Amino acid sequence: MSNRKLAHTLRALAWLLRYPDAEARAALPALVGALRAEAALPAPRLDELDLLATRLAALPPMRVEADYVDLFDRSRQTSLHLFEHVHGDSRDRGPAMIDLAQTYERAGLRLAEGELPDYLPVVLEFASTQPPDAARAFLAETAHIVRAIFSALLKRNSGYASVLAGVLDLAGERAEPVVLAEEPPLDETWEEPAPFEGCSTAGQSKPGQPQPIHIVPPATAQARHVV
Amino acid sequence: MSHFLDRLTHFTLPKEAFADGHGKTTGEDRTWEDAYRSRWAHDKIVRSTHGVNCTGSCSWKIYVKGGIVTWETQQTDYPRTRADLPNHEPRGCARGASYSWYLYSANRLKYPLVRGRLLERWRKALAIAKSPVDAWASIVEDPAARRDYQQLRGMGGFVRSSWDEVNQLIAAANVYTIKTHGPDRVVGFSPIPAMSMVSYAAGSRYLSLIGGVCMSFYDWYCDLPPASPQVWGEQTDVPESADWYNSNYIIAWGSNVPQTRTPDAHFFTEVRYKGAKTVAVTPDYSEVAKLADLWLHPKQGTDAAIAMAMGHVAMKEFYFNRRSAYFDDYARRYTDLPLLLRLKETTLADGKTVLAPDRYLRASDFADTLGQPNNPEWKTVAFDTAGQVALPNGSIGFRWGPEGRADAGKWNLEAKDARDSADAKLKLSVLEVGPQPHEVVEVAFPYFAGADTPHFPSNKRDGDLNRAKVPAVRLKLADGDALVATVFDLQAAQYGIDRGLGSGAKDYNDDYPYTPAWQEKITGVPRDQVITVARQFADNADKTQGRSMIIIGAAMNHWYHADMNYRGVINLLMLCGCVGQTGGGWAHYVGQEKLRPQTGWTALAFALDWIRPPRQMNSTSFFYAHSDQWRYEKLGVQEVLSPLADRSKFGGSLIDYNVRAERMGWLPSAPQLKTNPLQVVKDAAAAGMDPKDYTVRALKDGKLELSCEDPDAPQNWPRNLFVWRSNLLGSSGKGHEYFCRHLLGTENGIQGKDLGQDEARPTEVRWHDKAPEGKLDLVVTLDFRMSTTCLYSDIVLPTASWYEKNDLNTSDMHPFIHPLSAAVDPVWQSRSDWEIYKGFARVFSEVCKGHLGVEKEVVLTPLMHDTPAELAQPFDVKEWKKGECDLVPGKTAPAIAVVERDYPAVYERFTSLGPLMNKLGNGGKGIGWNTETEVRQLGDLNGVDGAGRPRIVSDIDACEVILQLAPETNGHVAVKAWEALSKATGREHAHLALHREDEKIRYRDVQAQPRKIISSPTWSGLESEKVSYNAGYTNVHELIPWRTITGRQQFYQDHPWMIGFGEGFSSYRPPVDLKTTAGIQNIKPNGNPEIVLNFITPHQKWGIHSTYSDNLIMLTLNRGGPVIWLSEEDARKAGIEDNDWVELFNINGAIAARAVVSQRVNPGMTLMYHAQEKIINTPGSEITGVRGGIHNSVTRIVTKPTHMIGGYAQLSYGFNYYGTIGTNRDEFVVVRKMKTVDWLDTPRDDHLAKAYQAQGENP
Repeated sequence: MSNRKLAHTLRALAWLLRYPDAEARAALPALVGALRAEAALPAPRLDELDLLATRLAALPPMRVEADYVDLFDRSRQTSLHLFEHVHGDSRDRGPAMIDLAQTYERAGLRLAEGELPDYLPVVLEFASTQPPDAARAFLAETAHIVRAIFSALLKRNSGYASVLAGVLDLAGERAEPVVLAEEPPLDETWEEPAPFEGCSTAGQSKPGQPQPIHIVPPATAQARHVV
Repeated sequence: MSHFLDRLTHFTLPKEAFADGHGKTTGEDRTWEDAYRSRWAHDKIVRSTHGVNCTGSCSWKIYVKGGIVTWETQQTDYPRTRADLPNHEPRGCARGASYSWYLYSANRLKYPLVRGRLLERWRKALAIAKSPVDAWASIVEDPAARRDYQQLRGMGGFVRSSWDEVNQLIAAANVYTIKTHGPDRVVGFSPIPAMSMVSYAAGSRYLSLIGGVCMSFYDWYCDLPPASPQVWGEQTDVPESADWYNSNYIIAWGSNVPQTRTPDAHFFTEVRYKGAKTVAVTPDYSEVAKLADLWLHPKQGTDAAIAMAMGHVAMKEFYFNRRSAYFDDYARRYTDLPLLLRLKETTLADGKTVLAPDRYLRASDFADTLGQPNNPEWKTVAFDTAGQVALPNGSIGFRWGPEGRADAGKWNLEAKDARDSADAKLKLSVLEVGPQPHEVVEVAFPYFAGADTPHFPSNKRDGDLNRAKVPAVRLKLADGDALVATVFDLQAAQYGIDRGLGSGAKDYNDDYPYTPAWQEKITGVPRDQVITVARQFADNADKTQGRSMIIIGAAMNHWYHADMNYRGVINLLMLCGCVGQTGGGWAHYVGQEKLRPQTGWTALAFALDWIRPPRQMNSTSFFYAHSDQWRYEKLGVQEVLSPLADRSKFGGSLIDYNVRAERMGWLPSAPQLKTNPLQVVKDAAAAGMDPKDYTVRALKDGKLELSCEDPDAPQNWPRNLFVWRSNLLGSSGKGHEYFCRHLLGTENGIQGKDLGQDEARPTEVRWHDKAPEGKLDLVVTLDFRMSTTCLYSDIVLPTASWYEKNDLNTSDMHPFIHPLSAAVDPVWQSRSDWEIYKGFARVFSEVCKGHLGVEKEVVLTPLMHDTPAELAQPFDVKEWKKGECDLVPGKTAPAIAVVERDYPAVYERFTSLGPLMNKLGNGGKGIGWNTETEVRQLGDLNGVDGAGRPRIVSDIDACEVILQLAPETNGHVAVKAWEALSKATGREHAHLALHREDEKIRYRDVQAQPRKIISSPTWSGLESEKVSYNAGYTNVHELIPWRTITGRQQFYQDHPWMIGFGEGFSSYRPPVDLKTTAGIQNIKPNGNPEIVLNFITPHQKWGIHSTYSDNLIMLTLNRGGPVIWLSEEDARKAGIEDNDWVELFNINGAIAARAVVSQRVNPGMTLMYHAQEKIINTPGSEITGVRGGIHNSVTRIVTKPTHMIGGYAQLSYGFNYYGTIGTNRDEFVVVRKMKTVDWLDTPRDDHLAKAYQAQGENP
């Protein structure tokens, strides 16, 4: 793992994932500049992000905003709330969010109002406050989810995929699209679950299967187990 | 050596085994449990519930940790019941238990959204306009700009906005609309206040302050049974579920108790342990069918035939074979059976004459008006046992009149003659002891069951009349001799009971209306089952004094002739003396109708503290007119008329009746006048006239026109629509595709044509050759999820859900008042409804400056039930417009009021309790009381503003207003209310509340524990330690009259329109033929067979009522996406296999769904569970070429003239009390397997779309 600084890159990526309102659009040149300056990402990625920023700035603002709403506010697969992908509407979601919020608190950061702890820009911003190694390790834990969102965006030909790819780069993962656990044949999805095997909703484990993943930094996770 | 020293006295060894060896104690390490303990640890538990119209109103514990809701569990701290009754718990079902998972779901709306195309125009316009109002004007006054965003409704393109921005836009639109078109062009729809009454009140208070219109919901949902007002003068007053436990015989008729009343079903199960018998009547093998002892499955829509046959059996066996002493006494005192009807000679089409039942005999029919100077036209008459004419207490004429009149205090059900207050026992039949001169005459009743209706079996008899012999008495009246008969004698004859007079059924096997054998042909239910159930039901009621109950569900009420289903059932209950008796009666559960602290709430909700009267509208008529469904009407009035009716008096089409009803003040109007009501006042001033007089004159000379006469003229369009707490365009938008075309102006799947040139057009309504598309300038929806309605809205605002706001919630099913509590702050940018509307009010008050100041306007109000106006036209129907009478506001036309609105003070008024509470007092349902004490105490509690008025700033303040003002939650008010009622009845009632006089229930009290409400005269049941809540209880036990013309429960309806449409007495009427399939079946073939099925939309299992079916868990349990159910037999005919994609269509539109093929469905019908969302897995329709619709896509509203009657005692308008209903069960659809399933995934504006589509989008 490299010890290179990446705080600005992480924050810039978080900004790029923000709703592209006038403020966020105005910040685009500065973001691109910061990404270039810190150079934590490989050059081709920086070019992609440049392109994204250029497109966001060039397209009619309403189109950019409407696309964002369609992409991130109205779709499960591309939701930027990480636990949507792990826990869905299951009962594990609340405790997982609490774990994550406590992680932030232990780092001395209080999550401001208005967003949930598992919102990807929140996660990125948190990582940006950590030493580079810790940040990369933290991101690596979320990599499988980020990759899922990345793949979903890629499938939709969305330029935002590059942002997610950037996160994967930082996490030390290769930004390769995965075959999404997406759109299984409808018949299969709608098949009634076998009785007495627990609920089969995504994220809700059946008996005998491992618990869903909670994102907790290793140190803390160990501390928990010592109890 | 003594052995006792070997034993320890003070110690025992740890017991290793217990419970006979089933349990074992071990000492192993259990620290691993700590992981679970900490996982389930929480910071706080908050009490809340789900405001979702499921009727549950269940208490839930919401667990919060770190500001995040983690889970919920059922609360188990309901106050205990008395010794002979199981406790209310457990309440709460599996669906409610999974709600917390929805709170953070991707389904949540997070930010205020506006359709991009509109917002872009708005921002541009705002940049150059002088004011926001001018900006809005520049958009909507440009037809191209208006169409530009209208036609994108339903097609996405939303962008985020901010609260400040949307508030300004909305306020500007409202101000512009009020100024340009009139305040009554701003309308709002929100249903079921009981599920979150402050959230409802937030919007209705805002609308009422600015002069907007609150739309009714209960009639629109078709859950409102018009039979309830017809029979009782009360709407949906029903027993609590605990009262099921007091019953000994329960019929669940079209009510799927375990599925749709899950938290209450335990009482249904428990009562069987003490011997109660349960019967289910449902066409399909439903969950309640599995639960009950006996299952009757009539053909869908024919329930009235069974009910009539049961009535036949009960009357025959318990009134004639032998006389039940209990039934006999009950019938004489509490029903109209002893009252006299005039018999009228009627000429038939063939020129022959017959006698037919006409109206009730009234005191005014006698030369001396029976000594009644006050309202003799509204006092009904009977014979006493001596055969003398008697004037019983309690008819509606005694209810109203000047102070200090001679007949005051006689509006009660004491068995007395009002003239001398002497005891009077009324005669049921002129034949009974105390014989009197009479003759036996032949009377004709309409008979509808012989009519040939497609898909429904008929039972042909001698044509369309049912003739029977009836004993009648000739009386000398003011207008000459007349024949009269008792309702009892006529009812027995109509039921086909042979009394030895020369008519009636020989026995139950005689196929004669309305015997058990007769119904068999229509319903398919074996006669012996009907006989058994009716006999047992009546026998039980006889032995237990009325503990037989019928639980009834909306399924029965969604038919065009719902009244027959309901009245048939209610007749049985009345014959058996069940209504108003513990464990008995009519238990109609359809939604969370009971807003228990009603009179505390109305003041807040309709801003009665500031301005009276508010504007309220019946939604069915509104949408029928404004979504232009009337232009496609295929049901002719002649098809539903009585064969005995004078056809010359009943011409025209259905909308004509609605227009007439609005003109006569029977039904409300919205918009009201073609001219802006602000302008009317100005015009009056210019003419130097009082606005009221001016309006009357202008209406008469045609200068003013009622909007209803020309709903398609742009001046009469509704312009701004608010929807909150509702999925108006989805789950309840009957005629969804018509909404899309005409009201919204967007893509739609209508297949039929409007009436156009050829067909009979309405006579009272102006016809425009081209119907308008897109009447609404602005649609604003508040929701916490992207519902179908949100998709079609211009602005979508994220609201707080049920764990994020403070509110109150009550239900029909139990007597407790529940809080909704903010366990956490509203997530993302959502706000509670209270805060949202408060925000509108604040910005409106600023934006209106320079456009609206203190303004006066005229408000039209219909002749309201429970007011003296309900005594409008006692006999014939006379219309001022046709010159048959003068235009008298409040008598022959709507009442006209001039009100003043201080527009810049809307916010100030919104947030404080206005002066009218002190000045005019409070009340409801015909009684009023002074409430100055409560206003003062409320000021002490909430604090006062600069003007010394109690503040209503927060949602909790609003809760306190309701609780403080309502008799149900404030014992002092309850006592006052009962005392007010005593003035009318002349009887003492305050004892019902005295023991709780000092009790005041506050918001924090109900947060601590659910509280039982205090008995109040708003309701006819009692809360006590002796009885469970049962409707009609105080009528029977306190002798308070029903609020009908007779003061009694009515077997008969005597309004000329009721008689004209053949519903004087109840009968069986087959479903109506809506003619929606012939024009489309086999016209657009896809190669698969097409079959026609009846379309039924019951309530689902996998959603909380109509909400929440888009949650992954619910979707998974319910196969996901839209499904329909059909029988194996029909599936075979159409070549459909389970899980195939099928299309359901008719001329109204089309639905694409998956098929569930099941034995539990009757052949001939298909079930589509209510309220599956268009946003989930809905492919394109092969028929329409656009995305498949929702369950309402194949429906269209059809109105019924009898529901428009007004100004006639119980048949008078009241908000969600009476009015046209949105029936939808008579609908038929063509069903066929789909050939290609096209998901229409290609974006519309994609330049490659054509190329994609050419290759088949989903190969």
